[in-house]
This record gives sequence, structure tokens and C-alpha cells, in this order.
Amino acid sequence: MNWLTRLLPTRGDTPALDDELRTRLQAWQALAEPDLGRPHFEAAYTVLNTEATGLDLDKDTMLAVGAIRVDGGRFSPADGYYAPLSGQPAAALAGLLHFVGKGPVVVFNTGFNRVMLERALATHLDVAPTWQWLDLRVLLPALFPERIDRPARLADWMRAFSIETFQRHHALGDCWAIAQLFLAAQSRAMAQGAAHARALGDLERARRQLWRQP
Amino acid sequence: MTAAAQELLVGASADFLRRFSPFNRMEPEALDFLAQRAVLAFHPRGSAILTPEMGQPRHFFIVQRGKIQAQQWGATTVTEYASMTLGPGECFPIGAISAQRPSTNAYIAVEDSFCFQISSDQFLELMQMSPVFHLFCTQYIASLLNQSRQQLQTSFAQRAAEQQTMTTQLGQLVKKAPVFVAPETPTRRALEEMAAQHLGCMIVADDDQRPLGILTQSDLLPRVVLAGFDLSLPISEVMTANPHQLPATASAYDAALEMATHGVRHLLVIDSDGRLKGVVSERDLFSLQRISLRQIRAGIESAHDVESLQRASRDIRQLALNLIAQGIGAEQLTQFISALNDALTRRIIDLALYTHNLYGIDYAWVAFGSEGRHEQTLSTDQDNGIIWQCPEMEDASQVRRRLVAFAREVNENLANCGFPLCKGNIMASNPELCLTLEEWKGRFGDWIREPDPQALLNASIFFDFRVLYGNERLGDQLRQWLNRTAKMNSAFLRMMASNALQVVPPLGRIRDFVVEDDGTIDLKKSGARLFVDAARIIALRTGVESSSTVQRLRQSAVRLGVPTEEVAAIIDGFHFIQLLRLRSQHLETEHDSPGDNRLDPDKLNELDRRILKEAFRQARKLQLRLKLDYQL
Repeated sequence: MNWLTRLLPTRGDTPALDDELRTRLQAWQALAEPDLGRPHFEAAYTVLNTEATGLDLDKDTMLAVGAIRVDGGRFSPADGYYAPLSGQPAAALAGLLHFVGKGPVVVFNTGFNRVMLERALATHLDVAPTWQWLDLRVLLPALFPERIDRPARLADWMRAFSIETFQRHHALGDCWAIAQLFLAAQSRAMAQGAAHARALGDLERARRQLWRQP
Repeated sequence: MTAAAQELLVGASADFLRRFSPFNRMEPEALDFLAQRAVLAFHPRGSAILTPEMGQPRHFFIVQRGKIQAQQWGATTVTEYASMTLGPGECFPIGAISAQRPSTNAYIAVEDSFCFQISSDQFLELMQMSPVFHLFCTQYIASLLNQSRQQLQTSFAQRAAEQQTMTTQLGQLVKKAPVFVAPETPTRRALEEMAAQHLGCMIVADDDQRPLGILTQSDLLPRVVLAGFDLSLPISEVMTANPHQLPATASAYDAALEMATHGVRHLLVIDSDGRLKGVVSERDLFSLQRISLRQIRAGIESAHDVESLQRASRDIRQLALNLIAQGIGAEQLTQFISALNDALTRRIIDLALYTHNLYGIDYAWVAFGSEGRHEQTLSTDQDNGIIWQCPEMEDASQVRRRLVAFAREVNENLANCGFPLCKGNIMASNPELCLTLEEWKGRFGDWIREPDPQALLNASIFFDFRVLYGNERLGDQLRQWLNRTAKMNSAFLRMMASNALQVVPPLGRIRDFVVEDDGTIDLKKSGARLFVDAARIIALRTGVESSSTVQRLRQSAVRLGVPTEEVAAIIDGFHFIQLLRLRSQHLETEHDSPGDNRLDPDKLNELDRRILKEAFRQARKLQLRLKLDYQL
């Protein structure tokens, strides 16, 4: 038993990790926590998106993950990550951890994506990242109520911004669209004074509370 | 795994770009280069993406989604696109980023927009890598040139439209309030008034402004001076009573007919109550007539005296204005002017030959300088000379004397027709410039062997020669000899090049333009000449026989393997400067101030200023070529 598995909560079904993967996890663990108070134009976010066999969290499993880094309010096609989970899921997820770092992360619909990802990370790598999760499904109506003022589907938001993507329902294809939505969200948030990740988190919480009220 | 993502995302960008020109025609590796580096950013509605104040643009943008408005910056927003909207697939700022200078437009997102961007270095790399993209950018700049030309045409066309035709009502032709005196006014006072106001005639009217009579300048000699008329007597005693008059609603044509019928030069225009509204003169009507090339040509060829040629010379100017209005570019325009001036000069020579017998003498009348290059603008003085060959058994000094006497008459008549005598005495009547073929060769040879500053200056004037009249073969022989000799003397060409490089394009590091003390740029000295000088050297080196700058550039480019679009851009730049010169000379002469080559860049509109800068940059490019060729 090596030091890493001692550090991590052990589970009986965690597959043994090879040296390379262990080194990667180790490097990831050693990363500093992000400063959530950095303004958007200086901060890096990772837009994450999962592709699963379906939308039922109990039955369906994750097929692939896509990620795009939004750094300083823009993103480059050279700065993306995509990995199917078939074959070597541990390696795919370790690569993702390496790509994302310590966050923050942006998804469309945390309810599904976060659960899918956290479950996969626990299963295959036995880690539970403490990322700050930002949910565009909540943030977009809060920021652009003049466009859609309720929880809506990704397709609706894409239409609202006439955003297209190269392949719908593909982990990276949708991720590309979500990343574009996030650029718009950042810009609007900035204009409204929500200049950093923490403020976006507050905005998201406030909106969730609003929705909970009758 | 990251590689897979890159491939997908780069592919997505490439797919998007491929929907638009020029990216759809771009070389695969160039498109891949672009798609890999194109970063996507969002610009909310109302935000400024790029403004002149941001300095040199650091990014090149391609609109992915939304609308970006390019707005002309500053006070002078007079061009046809004071603002222009860019949509998906369109890019900016091409001119500014390729020239590495601040943008002249402000680019504002008028909708929430996404733009791809690459850094300016990547842009330049892409330009180098992709001939398609390079051409696209060059053509974009050329299209700006076109726009400016069209705009120029519109403004001249407008003025031409304002110029009335023979159907115009006389009321509209009357520009000034009439000057008139009462019938009892002493004649002396009336004449003093005429003199003071430079009037061609004085009208006599009653208290109700009804015309009673007229006294014209041409009446003065017979009726006043020769008749010894007593100037203290009232004007009514010497005026022509019941002057010819037409209602304000009559047409210019009616007036012309009236004048022709009665042989008068002035007509009074009256309103419906019979009150005096003004005067129209024969000259007012004459200027209404559109003058055609053919008419002028015919006028010149049938002219029997200098006076009719003077009229033709004025017509040439008028025609030039009309031609600009019809949308003719600088090249054709200067050619037209040049062709008509040639015809005029030939006619003047013909007339001079009536009185000077040159029978048996083999000679050629040559034009030097701008006339020699077919590049005359409207205000050029004379630069001419004669090449001749002494007939056997004749005394050379005798022949020269005859030629010089003939040339003097030609030079004077040219001066009378609007081509001022050359201050530097570069005229055929100067015995120094009335040389035999052998003497010219000797003269040119001296300059080439010993290229001191004066020799280089001379070369820049005299090597641009062209035969206007007489035996063309003399010119051909001199040209061939010159090209051969110059080509063999690379030291001479190198000196010419170094001399040409002493004047640099007036582009500033901080301000747009480097202006002279009076705030202007000399478009001849610091503009056109940069092209002309470089073209001459390149032509001598490549043995191009044409004396025209454009032809020299075009023909030598073929010999030197310079890409067509590169030389086209240089020629466009040259033409633009020539067009500005012509334009300013037109505007100047219309205000009756001497036409010159000075231009205040602050008075140009934004677009023209931008293109002028581009034109100067082309001159710089041409100079750079000389620098490299001669390692200066």
C-alpha cells in the first residue's frame, strides 16, 4: 500500500493505479487552491460537460467527458479536453483532473453533471475534488432574464444566443456551446458587478432561493 | 486525449471559417494554422472592441456571430461609409494591422457578438504563409482606393450636374445682383463704377429698376474716347437705349440665339414686372456648353492663330474636370491631358513652321520631365528640346540658329497657351538644349560617367524624354544608346538610387504625416516623385524603353519577376497621389489661385487620408527595393 491510497479514503473496489497515474494524481493534489476573488479577465475556469447513456442518474453511466478552458474571458480550440470513459476510465479522469486543476468549474446543470462526474471520480480514482461548481442553467436566467426568465434547456439558450456547435449531445460538442454561453455570462456578470467566481456563486445561490419560493 | 479535443475544436473553427471567403479558398495548412490559433471571445452589445485610441491593434478579429459596426473616427465622417456593419465571417482591421498602425475606425459591437481573434504577429505570419489571404488583404486595400475614387467621382459628378445646360432658365444663371445707375448720372461716375467693380457693362435704369439702356466696354472706344465725349454729361446721352432683354424664364439657348442674331455680348434679364434682375454675358453661356474631346481636338487642328489655341487650352482644363466627373482614373486622365497637350503643341509647331523654314533639316521636338512621361497635370511648365542632325554640306551653327529661332516662337506661343516658360530655361530655344544626336549622347554620357549632383538632377529630367514632333527615329536612337550606356554603368545607377532615396515618404512615426512648416505635403516632391525616380532607375536597369512611370514599373516588374499584384498596388498608390494632385489643381484653379501640388492632409477626409498613407507606404516599398538592389 502506497502513501497515496493511505491518504485517500479507501474503497474496496478502487482499481490499483499504475505509477504514472499516481504521479498525476499526486501533482493534482499538490496544486494550490484557486483564488475565487480574481476578476474574470484574469481567472481561468473550466467548462465541463459529460455525455452519458441517458439522463437517469440511477441507471445511466457516463460515456465521455469534455472540457474547455476559459482563460481571461476567451477560449482557444487548442485548450480543450475530451476523453471517452470506455477503455481506460481512470486515465481519462486523471487527465481531466490534470486539465481542470482545482477549478472553478462551469457546467450546464450541476444536478446531473456534478453527480455523474463525482461518482466517476470516486469510483475510478477514489478522489472527491472540492471544486467550486457554477451552474449556467441557474446563472443564465439570472443574468439574461430578458431572454429567458426560467430554468430552460441548453438548446433553448443556444437558440437565444444563436450559438451553434459541431455536434450536439457530444461531450465536447455541447461543451463548446456551453463555453460560448459562459463567455456571454461572464461579460454580463462583469457589467452587473459580479466580477469573480465567488460572486457568481452568490448569484447562483440567490437565484436558487428565489426559485424555491412559491 | 487533449489531442482529440483539439482536433474536434480546431475542426469546428475551420468548418465555420470555411463558410466564408477568403477562408474557403485558403490553403489547407494556412486554414489549419488559423483555426488552431483563433481564440473566441465575447463582446457585449455596445462595447468597443477596437478604437484608434487603443493604439496599434494587437489582434485581428473575425466575426463569428453578431454584428460589429465600423465607425469612422474623428470629425471628418464624410465618406460613403461613415459606418459599416460587419457580420459573421467578416474581419477587421485589415489596413491597420497589416500596416501596424492604429485603426482609423472604431469597432463597436452593436449586438452581443462573438469574435475569433489572432494576435497581430500571427496575422502577419498568416499573410506570409497564405498567398490567398495575402491577396485578400491587398485587394481589400485596393478596394478602399476604388471607393475613394468613386467618392471623388460622385463629388465631381455633383458639380457637373450643378453645371447647367443650355435649357437652364436665365433666372438661375444670374448670380449677382445687377449694378445700375440712374440716367442722369454723370458719365465719369458711371465709368468709375465700372472700373471699380470690373464690370463689362453698365446698365442704366429708372427708379423702378426698369432698364433704360446699357453702355458696354466695347462702346467706350468709338463712342467715348475717339468721339471725345464730355464725361460730365449724363450717361443717358451715350448709352444704347432699349437694350436687348429677355425674361428670367427664357432659356440659355434663347439668350445665345438672341446674342448671335443681334451680335451683342450682354443681355439684360428682367422679371415678370419688367424689373432688372441681372445680366448674362456671352461668356456665361459659353461655360455652359459641355466640351467634348472631339470638339477640342478639331478645334486645335483647325486653329489658325494662337488665340484659338488659347481657347482650346482652356477647354482642355474644362474637359479634364468633366472627365473626372465621368469617373476616369488618374492614368487615363493624364493620358487625355497629355494627348491634347501634344496636339496643341504640334499645332503650335505647325503654325511656327509657316514662318520658319526648316526644310531639309532632320529634327525631333522632344518633351522632357512630366510631359515626357505622359504625366502632365494641369499646371506644368514647359520642358522641351530639340534633337537634330546636321545635313551634309551645311554649317552646324547656321542650322542651330535657325532651329533656335523657330523654337523661340514655339516656346512663346506655348506660354501664351497656358504652359508657362520654364524658369530653369529647359526649353528648345535654349541653344544648350538644341543639340544634335551626337551632342545629346555626349551630354548624357558625361552625366553617366561623372554623376555629380547636378548631373543626377539633369538625368532625372532629361532621361524622361519623348518625341512630340518630327523624326521619331532620332528619339529611338538616343533611347537605345542611353539604356545600353546606363546599364553598363552600375555605379551611375547606384548613385541615382542613392539620390532618389534622399527624399522619403512623408510618413510620421507619431503623427500620420510629416508636414512642412505650412502644414502641407508637397504631393509632387514628396509624393509622385518618389515613384517617378524609382521607376526611372528600374527602367534603365532593365532596359525598358517607355518613359512613363506606370509603364516602366509594369514592364520592368515582368522582367524582374515581381508579382503582378505587388506592382499593381504600387501603381495604385502612384495614381492616387496623381489624382489628388489633379483634384487639388482643379479646385485651386477654380478659386483662381495658382494651381500647385500642396495638400493639407487635415483637409482630407478620413478615407482619403488613409489611402494616402497607404500610397506613401507603397512608395516606401519601392524605395526599399532600390535599397536592397543597390545595397544602400
